[in-house]
Amino acid sequence: MTEVTYLEAIRTALADALREDERVFLLGEDIGAFGGAFGVTAGLLEEFGAERVLDTPIAEEGFVGASIGAAWMGERPVVELQFADFATCAFDMIVTVAAKTHWRSGQAVPIVIRCPTGGGVRGGPFHAGSLEGLFVGQPGLKVVCPGTVADAYGLLRAAIDDPDPVLFFEHKALYRRLRDTLPPAGHRVPIGPASVVRAGRDATVVTYGSGVSLALDASARVEAEVEILDLRTVWPLDEDAVLASLERTSRLLVLQEAARSTGAASLVLSLVARHGFELLDAPPALLAPPDTPVPFAPELEDAFLPSEESVVTALEELLAY
Amino acid sequence: MPTEPCAAIATVTRVERLALLRLILLQRVFEERALALYRQGRVPGSYYDGRGQEAVAAAAGLALADGDVVCPLNRELAVHFARGASVAEVFRNVLGRATGPTGGRDGNLHFGAPARGVFPLVSMLGDLVPVTVGAALAFRRRGEPRVALTFVGEGAFSVGDTHEGLTLAGVWRVPAVFVLQRNQFSYSTPLARQAVNPSLGERIFGGWSIPCETVDGTDAVWTFDAVRAAVERARTGLGPQAVEVVTLRIHGHAAHDDGAYVPAELRAAYADRDPIDRLALRLALDGVPDEELDALRSHVERDVAAGLAEAEADPPPDPSTLEDGVWAQPPRGKQSGVGGQTPPL
Repeated sequence: MTEVTYLEAIRTALADALREDERVFLLGEDIGAFGGAFGVTAGLLEEFGAERVLDTPIAEEGFVGASIGAAWMGERPVVELQFADFATCAFDMIVTVAAKTHWRSGQAVPIVIRCPTGGGVRGGPFHAGSLEGLFVGQPGLKVVCPGTVADAYGLLRAAIDDPDPVLFFEHKALYRRLRDTLPPAGHRVPIGPASVVRAGRDATVVTYGSGVSLALDASARVEAEVEILDLRTVWPLDEDAVLASLERTSRLLVLQEAARSTGAASLVLSLVARHGFELLDAPPALLAPPDTPVPFAPELEDAFLPSEESVVTALEELLAY
Repeated sequence: MPTEPCAAIATVTRVERLALLRLILLQRVFEERALALYRQGRVPGSYYDGRGQEAVAAAAGLALADGDVVCPLNRELAVHFARGASVAEVFRNVLGRATGPTGGRDGNLHFGAPARGVFPLVSMLGDLVPVTVGAALAFRRRGEPRVALTFVGEGAFSVGDTHEGLTLAGVWRVPAVFVLQRNQFSYSTPLARQAVNPSLGERIFGGWSIPCETVDGTDAVWTFDAVRAAVERARTGLGPQAVEVVTLRIHGHAAHDDGAYVPAELRAAYADRDPIDRLALRLALDGVPDEELDALRSHVERDVAAGLAEAEADPPPDPSTLEDGVWAQPPRGKQSGVGGQTPPL
């Protein structure tokens, strides 16, 4: 079994999709000879050529829009935004055009928008954001946030197969930090279902993306059986999985890297308030950064981001209630 | 000033001239009917017509081949007819009927037809420029001799999406055609407050090196000849092309706007430039008998009346279907409800 990084799993998924389906092509800034700002597409231009790996001008609104037009003509474009933060530049195309087209016309828009997301790389306010919350709740979109190597591969393959617009938030801090077995070629992780990555009966951590490995590390240090539910798809939410876990544990911590009033937390907490109230033995807890942009200086960013320590503390408080 | 006939361009055949007149009449008669319905309170929302610009829509619609694709906007009803939409189909959308192309989910001309290569209008003008470029990119990548066309008014020419889309069109050298609708007003804002240089043709050539011919958009023959030439240049691999059409938007932005801000002298300049009169005069000079033109007009009027009756008899949409089709493939498991609906436990 080959062991790869999270980044290599994404690259392998792209290469496998390009190899298997001639409708698939990649477009984005500096993804060709340069291999992308993070090297995710390194080597793909050499293997697949300039018609499959297309460098674009700095025009996010333009090339996301062009991906919609190409999808309309039956192609399967996979867009790389250089940073997830740049999704704001393409917001109109994603929310106005891509998301609404099927509902109002029956025309499917099979595009994937890869968004290198998250902090921990000292990127500051414009290069370290977690913007998934802007898209959570938008009818017509699907939002996925892989937190493991296998999901990075399998969710990306599923996203490329999917007939709907999918935002794929791949975490920059996991690119080279996570290392695991590469799933078999062609492996798909269905869009929608959450996954119990650690079973337990004392408390549930609902999380996604960078929160998954953080929760795993933190829960190993707590004197309790902590269940960890990795949402994987944050929109639409797997409501059944959240409530089923809560039935087992009766205590909930929502952990996310997005600032506390954005991300997927509000959706989870709203669900639990409406339909999980009687399952709870303690008020649901939220561990998320404050409502500020992501700061630059290491001292500030470290204080901003959830840490293993802060997750342990939050779990202990939840368990002690 | 007497009406000046359309240009006598020999490469535009009599059959094509008659086809143009039929499309222009269809748009005119349909829109007059739709505006009357609006005033009677039978059209929800508002109604957006293209009075005075019908020749542009007819010309562009007719210039496209079957395999080509198009993103028409609100002033370009005749494009839908040229692509094969029926009068009833368009009325069903305008009236919000269950049987319409959007089933009441969108109104006006906000509908497309996947099988006919028409993308549904998006109100954020400029958005469809990159979409058009992307469709053309697919044709170029696959080596297909097909063309994608859209329309850009002087208002949409101020929008960043348009600039980005034109940049991509040039850099990728795609078979896209942009018909620049210089109709003097963006809602109530005159061209002089929309741009320093009022020539969209100079701007698209100077800024993006996209060749552009400027024509009188009230002259259907000239406009058709120019758009067809642009489409064929794009088809042969010469990269993106443009045609600037100069018109006056005779009505307001929509039915709720009387256009009182349009200066009288500008209105006077267009008083004798009705595209129907100009084309009818050309056809009369071509030797087409009056009776044939009258018959064409009567036929169109009958078609519009019949299409409206058909659409009005259709049922309204069923509210219980509201959440259907949000996704082409709904995700597995229960979904967090759109519109606050959550499946009961």
